[in-house]
Amino acid sequence: MLGTIKTASHALTAGTGFTSSRRFKKNLAATVMLTSLVDAFSILVIYLLVNFSSAGDLLYLSKGMELPPAAKAVELTRNVVVKVEKDKLFLEEKEINGNELVGKLIDLKKNWEKYYPETEFTGAMTIQADRRQTYDLLSQVIQAGGHAGFSDINFAVIRK
Amino acid sequence: MNVEVDLVAFISLLSVCICFLLLTTIWIQIGSMDVKQAVGGQPASESKPKPEMWVVMEKEGAISVQLRNSPTKIMKTYGRSKIEGTEGKPNLEEMAKYLVQLKGEFSEISIALIRPAEKTPFEDIIQLMDLFKQEGIEDLGVTPL
Repeated sequence: MLGTIKTASHALTAGTGFTSSRRFKKNLAATVMLTSLVDAFSILVIYLLVNFSSAGDLLYLSKGMELPPAAKAVELTRNVVVKVEKDKLFLEEKEINGNELVGKLIDLKKNWEKYYPETEFTGAMTIQADRRQTYDLLSQVIQAGGHAGFSDINFAVIRK
Repeated sequence: MNVEVDLVAFISLLSVCICFLLLTTIWIQIGSMDVKQAVGGQPASESKPKPEMWVVMEKEGAISVQLRNSPTKIMKTYGRSKIEGTEGKPNLEEMAKYLVQLKGEFSEISIALIRPAEKTPFEDIIQLMDLFKQEGIEDLGVTPL
């Protein structure tokens, strides 16, 4: 890559410790080759840029929350997020009562352009839950989504 | 021309880039498992009903499978099946064998509706859905309790 560039940024001169003695006078010059270092850094930057993913920004994972793993998962898109954590429900990170969920989702749908400007309503909802969460509460969320018009369910998972 | 390029500034820039990317890169890959809500069913405009599989996740990891709208020959062999769980978890190996055999004989099936039990862990549901998708059954639905 940059193999043709030679540099000698550090020229260490040593051997003057015996300046008083002319018999041992030496002139040692060591050059540090920075080319390989620059190559390594460049590869590292490219690797990190390729791996840079914005999907993680779409969800906030609380401490202790473990998503279930799945091999055939697809890329996560930005939807309304309902989080189920320790038998509590959160709509867009705000804790809500289970009875309020349908009303809040209907409100979101009605005022979609106000809450999510420049995005189109797709009827999709992301459910984020811990892998140990039982289905009874998830079922409530799915039912509430169905009543409010969110029939497409995206379960958040960790890609294997 | 014998020109020396001063790489120190370039190295500094790369170091800053690496530090920034290391701090901001998200290492876990979050994805989504897309399903439909299995309420409503097929539109009335479609004349021929599509073959589908109803899967009930029972207690102790047992899985009951029932085929619908499938040919008689397939119904006789695979119409109703039950796969017992192991140590309270679904036996995914047996389920995979069942799905491979079924898809081998009847590749048209691509719809599965899953009905988990009240206390089924979320992880078991996702693993089962993942297995269905891996075996080519892509249209998945989940029924509320």
